[in-house]
Amino acid sequence: MGLKIRLGNGERRVLKSSDLYFIQKLLKTMRNPKTRFDSREFLEKGQDYLFNYVGKNVGGIDEGRRNFLKGIVIGVAAATVVGVIPGLRVLVPPVEQVSGFPKSLLLDSSGNPLKASSIPVNSPIITLYEYPLTGEPNFLLNLGDKNGNPVSISPVEVVVPQTGKTYKFPGGVGPNNSIVSYSAICQHLGCTPPYIHFYPPNYVGPSQLTAPEPDTLTAQALLAAKQADIPALIHCDCHGSTYDPYKGGAVLTGPTQRPLPTVLLEYDSSTDYLYAIGALGVATYPEGADGVPSQDPTKDLDTSQYGSSVGDKTQVQASTNPFSGS
Amino acid sequence: MSLSKRVSNWFSERLGLNDLPFFKTPDYMYHVNEWLGALVAASFIYTVISGLILLLYYNAAAGYQSTETIINQIPYGSVVLYSHLYGSYAMIILAYVHMFRNYFAGAYKKPRELLWILGVLMLVLTLGASFLGYSLIGDALAVSAVDVGAGIITSIPQLSFLIPIIFGNYDTGDYTRVLALHIILVALIGLLFVFHFFLAESYGMMPSRKVKPKAPAVYTKEEWSKFNPWWPRNFVYMSSLIFMTWGFILAIPNALAYLNGLPQYFNPFMNPKPAPPPNSPAAAHITTYPPWFFLFLYKIADFTSDVVVFLMIGVIIPLVYLIILPFIDRSDELHPLRRKVFTGIGILMITYLIQTSLWGDLAPGVEVSVKDQVVAYLIPAIIVALGLTFIKPMNDQMKLTRGISPMTGILFVIVSLLFAGSVVQLIDYPNLFTFAITAFMGSLFFLGSKTMGKLVLSQRIPNNAVPEVKTAEVSASNETKKKFAEILMSVLFILVVIIVAQMWTIPPTGYASNLFGVDLGLVFLMLGEVISLYHYVVYKKPIEKEE
Repeated sequence: MGLKIRLGNGERRVLKSSDLYFIQKLLKTMRNPKTRFDSREFLEKGQDYLFNYVGKNVGGIDEGRRNFLKGIVIGVAAATVVGVIPGLRVLVPPVEQVSGFPKSLLLDSSGNPLKASSIPVNSPIITLYEYPLTGEPNFLLNLGDKNGNPVSISPVEVVVPQTGKTYKFPGGVGPNNSIVSYSAICQHLGCTPPYIHFYPPNYVGPSQLTAPEPDTLTAQALLAAKQADIPALIHCDCHGSTYDPYKGGAVLTGPTQRPLPTVLLEYDSSTDYLYAIGALGVATYPEGADGVPSQDPTKDLDTSQYGSSVGDKTQVQASTNPFSGS
Repeated sequence: MSLSKRVSNWFSERLGLNDLPFFKTPDYMYHVNEWLGALVAASFIYTVISGLILLLYYNAAAGYQSTETIINQIPYGSVVLYSHLYGSYAMIILAYVHMFRNYFAGAYKKPRELLWILGVLMLVLTLGASFLGYSLIGDALAVSAVDVGAGIITSIPQLSFLIPIIFGNYDTGDYTRVLALHIILVALIGLLFVFHFFLAESYGMMPSRKVKPKAPAVYTKEEWSKFNPWWPRNFVYMSSLIFMTWGFILAIPNALAYLNGLPQYFNPFMNPKPAPPPNSPAAAHITTYPPWFFLFLYKIADFTSDVVVFLMIGVIIPLVYLIILPFIDRSDELHPLRRKVFTGIGILMITYLIQTSLWGDLAPGVEVSVKDQVVAYLIPAIIVALGLTFIKPMNDQMKLTRGISPMTGILFVIVSLLFAGSVVQLIDYPNLFTFAITAFMGSLFFLGSKTMGKLVLSQRIPNNAVPEVKTAEVSASNETKKKFAEILMSVLFILVVIIVAQMWTIPPTGYASNLFGVDLGLVFLMLGEVISLYHYVVYKKPIEKEE
């Protein structure tokens, strides 16, 4: 648009549309009673007054220019928002996906590799280590007979009462094949030590029937131990589930419907070190596998994302002895 | 009508932006000087937001470990944590600047007494919240700071019941109480801020001394209803200030995170990283000092072994003075030189605060004899007293002072610091050499303060001194500046786009992740600058009268 003038053959622009807009705005302002243009003062002071008046009331900014500037401001603001977006990742907690079980060297409480032959036989002290994830406690047991001599634990077929399926427990490791390891999370409702723990032979007797928690054995558990002819057992005080540590953590008495999952141990006879290498039994991982025994114990962590992997070392903690009080 | 205009109108109608009871601002007040409170509020808001993000991850049962986790494992966790720390630093510094500016402007006078008192209370709460926040890190410095704090409380038998209330099971590494109180204090600040803000809005910003030289300095309703409305000009101006504040809060600490091996005395001011944990062997090798904003208190603790005296000097007397100030300075004079006693006390408060903080930084925990105390604190008092006695309030029409360039300002600051340093040297090693240096620096300082004094103490160039004839010229040069501003805006836009594109490639954790904070800070700075330039081009009038 704009105003054009014909000169001979060519057209020439005299006024741009923005100029027209400006004039229109200026005239409007001059007519406005609030900002009326004082012609008398104009006569007195000349163009200075006019410039001053225009600068003050109309401003030098035309609409197009203002929109361009607004565009830049909005553009920068939009770019800032785009720049903030990756920062929003701060709201997403870092999740450590654990795929597969690590091979973890067991360390003693002072941080040195644990010597398998130094693990006391039938110790009532709850010895735990975390594996495969932090916050997942497991028992470490050196099993023996009534007299405290280590007992060789042989491989055995373990039945899962919930489904009737079976899986193969590989037996004990260590110098006497007497060291076993089970999850310390009760398969019934998830109680952890000290409520679930190992009862050495001298505590598997009628006197425990009246012992205070967490050391109370049920009569049912005592009977089951007698029938299975085992000197010691794992018992959970919460609801009375009993497991057979000599037979792969198999269920002795309910209410649990599943055996305790086994942690697979590897024994290095040259160094006397123990390694945790996987888990076996009803799959705790992946969650919700409902009693179906794990088929591939090295690959079952795929969906587990709560907690972080213990990595290639895990420390054994000899925590409380629940019997020391009695 | 353009689309943006329609959108803007839609919102301003729905939200009633034009009818907001907020103070309308006269043209001449678009100056950072008048908006210091907005800067404090901006850093407060930033710190609250970043703090809430940290709250998602912080575990009060394991303070140090979760701090380390936030720094090392959470995506951009260190960016948020460091800027949270510096947001609070900025808030403290800006609160002091805001307070002292209003102190010298006499803004605490009628009718703003309550506003002033609320402000002082907020300062106390801010320092308290900062102390607790600092303790949440659980590093060696935090634990030692808490021990000192708890020690001060314990030594007054009547107050020892406060220890479990404030710190709970702190000794066992449980920071639940500290975290809860940190949040409670911040919530209180927020509450008081609402009152402070609305009171300030209802009284309006304080007019220039030229317009209202005496208290009560308020614009009447008729006067201010003619000023620029809150929307859009104030809003635009305010956003530019907020974004720039955020930019500095983000850029500075994340850049400082790359500094390593700072000398000990820089650590309390410049190091955003936590110290080693208190139970590590490394903790034995660090000097424990409080955060910089408590260095002055830390030094005062070296003056006396009596805790009550210490609290009196360090906390109670200054605090009580500030709170009752509106009631003891009852004159209606606003000019700082017409209330010399209070101006003098104000200058001394600033001097002592800086002096004692630096002292605490350079000689932490070194006991100070009474003689040294007298020397250190008497000299500034004498200088201020003499200076104020001889400077007379200048008549408004008497003389035109030319503005002083920022360069001169910086030079003057350096000269002052050198002078202060040489005085300390002279006290420590009184010999001819140090005396000569002190005398030299002193004369430079005297000359500088004479020039600066004119600028600081006089008022701005009166408008009527600029002949009306010159306005055309002024507006012409204004136009050139505006053209330049537009070009600058386009350049900034391009820069922002480049930086933002680069930001997407920065890894969220690890060594490089703090670059994200630096870049985001720069982007915020440029956004603030672009908005500020827009404000300049669109709203700035060639002549902004003080009316």
